[in-house]
This record gives sequence, structure tokens and C-alpha cells, in this order.
Amino acid sequence: MNTTPLGFLLISVALYLAGALASVLMSRREQLAILISGVAGILGGAAGIAAALPILLGGATQLFAAAGPFPFAHFVLRLDPLAALMVFVISLLVLVCSLYSLAYVREYAGRGAWAMGFFMNVFVASMVALMVVDNAFYFLIFFEMMSLASYFLVIFDQDKEAVSAGFLYFLIAHAGSVLIMAAFFLLYGRSGSLDFESFRALHLTGPLASVVFLLAFFGFGAKAGMVPLHSWLPRAHPAAPSHASALMSGVMVKIGVFGIIKVGIDLLGANTSWWGMLVLAIGGISAVLGVLYALAEKDLKRLLAYSTVENVGIILMGVGAGMIGLATHNTALAVVGLLAGFYHLLNHAVFKGLLFLGAGSILYRTHTKDMDKLGGLATRMPWTAGAFLVGAMAISALPPLNGFVSEWFTYQALFSMGSSGSDVAVRMAGPVGMVMLAITGALAAMCFVKAYGLSFSGLPRSEHADHAKEAPLPMVAAMALLALLIVALGVGAPLVAPVMAGVANSLINGVVPVVAQGVSVFPGNPQQALLSTPLLALLLLAIPVLPLLLVAGLKGARLARRHGGDAWACGYAQEQIMTASSHGFTQPMGVMFAPLYRLREILDPSRAAQRSLQWTIDAATRLEPVWDARVVNRIVDLVQWIGGKVQWLQHGDFRIYCLYVVVTLVVLLLIAV
Amino acid sequence: MPSFDMLFLAILQALVLLAIAPLMTGVSRMIRARMHSRRGPGVLQDYRDIIKLLKRQDVAPASAGFVFQVTPYVVISSMLLLAMALPVFTRHSPVGAIADLITFAYVFALARFFFALSGLDSGSSFAGIGASRELTMGVLVEPTMILSLVVVALVEGSTNLGSISASIAGGYLQAPMAILLALAAFAFSVFIEMGKLPFDMAEAEQELQEGPLTEYSGSSLAVLKLGLGLKKIVLAQFLIGVFLPFGILETLSGLSFLMAAVILPLKLLVIFVAAGLIENSMARGRFLLTSRVTWIGFGFAVLAFMFYLTGL
Repeated sequence: MNTTPLGFLLISVALYLAGALASVLMSRREQLAILISGVAGILGGAAGIAAALPILLGGATQLFAAAGPFPFAHFVLRLDPLAALMVFVISLLVLVCSLYSLAYVREYAGRGAWAMGFFMNVFVASMVALMVVDNAFYFLIFFEMMSLASYFLVIFDQDKEAVSAGFLYFLIAHAGSVLIMAAFFLLYGRSGSLDFESFRALHLTGPLASVVFLLAFFGFGAKAGMVPLHSWLPRAHPAAPSHASALMSGVMVKIGVFGIIKVGIDLLGANTSWWGMLVLAIGGISAVLGVLYALAEKDLKRLLAYSTVENVGIILMGVGAGMIGLATHNTALAVVGLLAGFYHLLNHAVFKGLLFLGAGSILYRTHTKDMDKLGGLATRMPWTAGAFLVGAMAISALPPLNGFVSEWFTYQALFSMGSSGSDVAVRMAGPVGMVMLAITGALAAMCFVKAYGLSFSGLPRSEHADHAKEAPLPMVAAMALLALLIVALGVGAPLVAPVMAGVANSLINGVVPVVAQGVSVFPGNPQQALLSTPLLALLLLAIPVLPLLLVAGLKGARLARRHGGDAWACGYAQEQIMTASSHGFTQPMGVMFAPLYRLREILDPSRAAQRSLQWTIDAATRLEPVWDARVVNRIVDLVQWIGGKVQWLQHGDFRIYCLYVVVTLVVLLLIAV
Repeated sequence: MPSFDMLFLAILQALVLLAIAPLMTGVSRMIRARMHSRRGPGVLQDYRDIIKLLKRQDVAPASAGFVFQVTPYVVISSMLLLAMALPVFTRHSPVGAIADLITFAYVFALARFFFALSGLDSGSSFAGIGASRELTMGVLVEPTMILSLVVVALVEGSTNLGSISASIAGGYLQAPMAILLALAAFAFSVFIEMGKLPFDMAEAEQELQEGPLTEYSGSSLAVLKLGLGLKKIVLAQFLIGVFLPFGILETLSGLSFLMAAVILPLKLLVIFVAAGLIENSMARGRFLLTSRVTWIGFGFAVLAFMFYLTGL
């Protein structure tokens, strides 16, 4: 057995494909299909992690090339640190989501659960393959496979919302692919080969490079869900089954980010500083608007999907800072910016995966995603609540969890921008980015206090919520696993940061700045800033001893804690309708940021798409009668007229038909002679 | 890991700040009473309140859950953590690996997150609205706070509070206008964060039955009150430690303790008295229009940044 990293990768993809195939073959026995596709996912994920880890921990890039069936495109695989990071993130989340699916998909038994197993596994396999191919042709093929498989997951429920969301997704995904194709063809025109290696060798500069970058940026950006190409995301992701939403939000959008990095940095070398500024600006806008729109949602899964837009924005801010660092030959900035982006990419996959799985568990037990109909679940689903709380804290960047560490590095990268270089635009962009990140952080805290508070706290606001019980074991185990990872990635920052710096450095080839020492991390320069999450965690665990001692020491004649009765409502009996509601909770934001909310209406392309579609249909219906009257009807008239003239030949008299036969024979004989 | 000396210093300053927290909030109460032409309670009243409350039973609604129970401890612990990391007795932070301005902002966010969530978790409608307002204030204040701190950090080339403090004490003159404007903006955001009128949200005695505090009672209320009082001290000391580190020695010695013992309470007192005076001469504004006022603070921060950029 081949046990090189690429060998493991092959095993991983083969396992996914086998799972997909088995799922189809077992369509009659759905329970078995669910089990097999889930187990295939778990094993495939494990194999994927085994493939990625050695490269991430300092192994050399692995290459594989074969001729392939097409003469114009070599089948080249390249497992470099960036690809390994992506494979790692994908495999990790797939492993957990597959575990979750073992119980969750039972909900879909009888509604084509086998098909879900098929599409999930194909979706994952194409993502993994996409990360390692090093040829534009195969890249596009796998990209399309991924889009198609995920499209079927989006429309799985077959209701009106899902189908229309799927349509919008389909449209925007393909608009993106067209741009990407155009970018690759421009490169192909110069290099004469579809191999990425030949693109790298071009060292393209000047306007053509910028055009290629812009095409790729917006093409992949559509996939990443950045503003203003985001509107499909909050509709498509929630429509899919929850473990698929987790994968789409946790992983698939990162493929858009991966594409931007691949083209902008790996293929083109990020040699122009306004590219980085553009990425940073779009990232900042996506972050603020994404979380602002998330706040206004009352559908839990849509809230999470909008927050994905936010987090993609944060990742892009890090990547943008890194690109600026590359363009201005500031290696430390480049490494720290990319490090922040990569770290947040991994972190977001973990906590957004957890939150979507949590939303899935709520949906599984209460059959609603409407937060106004939830409430009081913390006592009914304590494990789910605990895991969700950890996820909510991490996504709000609270120390010492993982979201905080990556945002801290993003802040530090932006700070370095502000303090170095002579370009005023760069010096200004850094602090502006920091302010945007600060607003984003505060809004995210509000958003996730709302998400947790309305779903899990207080009194149940519907019968379903009242009768909910804890999710089945595999689902709880999957969430617990991710919650532990959140803590580990946060507290273990001094171990994780150097790995991310290594990935960043593989794209830069400069002198690696040290980013961690002992239990502390720092952005290349310990004088600039220092952070020790292990120490933070230790102190946060140790300090509560003091107030606890105080409370125990001054006990006096205190009675034990008592919970009972309603909350106080100024002497009135408390009613459901009095408690916090989704709209009421965020009403101040709606007033204070009204212009930004109006922007959403303006930016929404789905309306424009709807309008243009309607116009096409209208035009077609109007055109149809014209076409009919002018062309089709004329032809029909003509044919009928000829038919009428020919009619006299057919009298229905048997003898005359015999005459025809004889005449024909004579004519033919005459011709022959 | 910090050395043993430093750890000792850190714990000491956390305890000192915790111990004087009720005194300072008592001063605030006294000032308010005097300005209302009332006699009011003595300055030590908050100590008596807290000790009394500690002996009382915790009573909570049936709907209150796990978060409601842990919040008092999370709030006070995060504030103690910050108190450990602030430059108090010297110009350097005893625990440098935490004394980062971004870390500080997010530890405040940790306390705010739980405080607001406890409001929702209690199931009370008033606490729910209080939670919403608490978080809204966070959104409005955070940008000003970060930007004003970033400006000083940029001037001094480090986001470490200890380094900023040390270099500010060493030379104010590097970018005087920028630093002064940043000081104004930061003081503004500290004032809001201390929960003062007209932004009176967090510990709003008059409004909404004290926001998320509504359902707390007994020892939980005591711990939470202590935590919120400590938050005010930490904020004031944050302002003093970073922007006004004068009269404090560079390194640790017997003399530095002596000087700090005199100067520190004085400075805190000045801040609390000033805040009290401003607070009580203000009318209360409509909550939904608060954002118009906070723009002023943000404007100061932006101006500070512009001064920094142009090198004035």
C-alpha cells in the first residue's frame, strides 16, 4: 500500500467515491445507505487528514503527473502546503459532518436519503480533488462538479424557497465560473499550456496581470460569497440539509478564498499593491455588512449564513494585508497577514461547522429554524446548548478561543500596515481596517448573544420547543468534537501559529519571521505585541476562585439557591409576548444603521436577476406570436394548401391505386432502359 | 510565563483595585446625592450593600439557566484579569503577554457578552431589552475605543499597553496633538463604558430596572455588583495607565509602591469626581438617538488619526 501523502489523498477520494456509489446501489435500503455513506465520509476524512498533516508539519511538496485522456491537458497533482491546509480543513469538517449525518439523515429516510449520500460524497470528493489539481482544465472540471453537486444539495427539499434559492445559486456560481475560465484562458493564451506550472513561470506583470486578477477575484469571490456577490449565499446555504450547510459554509466558500490566493499570489505573485487594497476593502465591507444583515435575521440558519459572509470578509482582510505586504516587499507583513487569513479560515470552518450542526440539531428536534418559535432549549438540550455557546463565543472572537487568536493576528497585520511604509494609502488603510474589524466584532457579539439567547434561553415560545429533547448521540458527539477543537485551536495558538506561518511562507519564499516562542505568539516582532492564550486560559480558570471564596466565606445564614416562578414583570403576569423577540432585540441597530440596511435592497442582484428573467420571459411570450404569425403559420398554410391540391390523388378507389402502381412501374422501366 | 515577582505584583494590584472599587462607586453615589441636594448614603455604603447581599439567598426565575448562574463570576473574573495586566504600580504591565490593547478590548467584550446573555437567559422582558441596549452601546463605543488606542499605539510603535505607557511617560512630544485628541476620544468612550448618563445603560439605576441586573439577587447580585464596580475602576485605570502615567516609576521598588499609594487613589478620585460631575449635569437622552452623540467621540478619534497621519 502506498502511504505517501498523495497516496493517502487517493485513498481518501476513492473512499468518497465508493461511498457515493454504494449509496446509489443501496437506494432500496436507505438505512444501510446512510450508514455506508457516513462511514465512507468518516474514513475518507481520516485519510485526508493523514495526507495533509505531514505536508503541513514541514514536509516537502508532492507532485504527480500523468498524461491523462486529453492531449491538451496533463493530469498534474500538486500537494503543496496551501493545498494541504485546504485538504486538512475539508477532511476535518467532512469527518465530523459524516459522523453527524449518521443520525441526522434519518430525518430524510424515505425522501431520498441515498441521493443525499451520493451528492454529499461527490461534492466532497470534487472539493478535495480541486485542491490538488495543478492544471486549469481539470481545475474547472472539478469546480463545476463541486458546484453541481452542491446545487443538488441546495434543492434537496424541493420546496419553493429551496428551488428558487438553488436557481439563484446556479446562476451566480456559473457567472463566477465564466469569469474564472476567462482568467485561465488569458493565461493560457500567453503560456500555451494549461498547466498551472506554466502560468507560474510567466511572471505576468502590467495591465494583463491586473485583468486576470480581477476576473479571478470576482469569479472566485462569487463562490466565496463576498459583498456584493453574496446574495445567493444566505438563501442557498440554509436551504441545504444542515450538515451540508455546515460543509458549504465551513468549507466551500473557502474554496473561493483559496482560488483568490491561488491566482493572486501563487500564479501571479501579487506584485501590485492595489490588488491587496481591493481585497482588503471588499473584505472589510463584507465583514461589516455581513454581520449587520445577520443581526436582522430571525431564521437561525440564515443568520449563520450571513455571518459566513462576515467571516469570509475577515479572512479576506488578512489575505489582503498579506498581498499588500508581498507587493511592498514587507515579508513580515505578508507572513502575518496570510497567517491571520489561514488561521481564520481554519477557525471559521470549525466554529461555523459547529453552529450549523447545532442549528441542525434544533431543527431535528423542533422542526423550526425561526428563533421566535424557539427558546428554553438549554435545559432541554444541555449538550447542544453548551457546544453552541462555545461556538457562539468563538465566532464573537472572545478570548481565549480560536476566533480571538485569528482576529488578533488580523488586527496585528493591519496595525503593521499602519506603522510601516511610506505609502499614505496603505498607512491609512490599516487602521481603517482595524476600526471595521472592531465594529464587526461588537456586532458579532450582539448577533450571537441573540442567536444563543433567543434559541436556548428564557422560556420556550412554541410547543415544539417545549417538547424538545437532547439530540442523538452521534450528533452530540460531532458537536462536542468541534467544541473541543475550538478550545484547542485557541489555547494551542503557540503550536498552531507557526504551522500557519509555514503555509504562508511557502507562498512567499522569504525569511520566515518567528511568530511563536514558549507559550506566546507575536506578529513577527515581540516588541509590537505579545499574546499568550494558554496564560489567558489558565488565569481565566484560576481567577474565579477568588469570588467563589468570597461567596463561601461570607455565607452567614444564607439559604441555598432557589429557582422558581416567573420573571418579574412590574406586577403583571408574565406572558410569552413580553419576552425578547428577534426583531425587538435588534431594533436599535435597525434605526441606527438604517442606511446600511437600505443598501441591501439596492445591492440585491436577485431582484435584478428576477427582473431580467421576467423580461426575457415576457419578450419570449411576445416574440412567440410574432414568430408564429410571420413564419410558422405561413408554412403551415402553405403545407395545407399543397395538401389540398394533392388530395385529389387519393380517391380511395382501389382500382385507381392499382393504376398508379402500373404507371409507376412503366415509368421506372422506361428510365432503366 | 511571568516571573514570580511579577505574578505577585499582578495579584496584588488586582486585589487592590477590587478592594477600592466599592469606595469609588460610593464616591459616585455621594456626588450624585449632593448634586440632587440630598444627603445620600456615606461613601462606604457600597461595602455594606455588598456584604449584606452576600448573606442573602439567591432567588431567580424558573427560566433562568446556566449562563445566568455563571455570569457574575465571568464578569468579575474578566475584570480581575484586566486588573492584573494593567500598568498600575509601574509603567509596565506585570503580565505583558495579556496587556495588549486588542486583548483588552476583547476581554471587555467577553464580560459584555455574558452580561447581556444573562439578561436574555433570565427570561425577563426588561432584562432582554437591557441586554439589547448593552450590546448596542458596545457597537457604538468599540470603534472609538479601538481607534483612539490605535493612534497612540501607532505613535509608540507597539500595541502593548506597558510599552505605550512607558513611552508616553518618556516623551509626550512625539505627536502631541494626536495623543491629546486620542486621549479625549478615549476618555469619552471610557465615560460611556462606565455606564454614565446620558448613556446610562449598564447599571442604569433609573432605567429599565437596571438592565440585565433585573433578576439577580443575593450573593450573585453582590458578585455582579462588585464586578461592575471593578469594571469602572479598570476603565479609569486603563485611561490613567495608558495616557496619564505620570508620577509612576519605571520599575518596581519600595519607592514605586509608596508613590503609587499616594498618586493612584488621587488620580482615580479625580476621574470619578469628574465623571460624576459630568454625569449629573447631563439630561438623559433618547436611547435611539445615542448614536448621534457617539459620533462626536468617533470624530475626535478620527481627527487624532488624521493628525498622526500628517505627522503633526
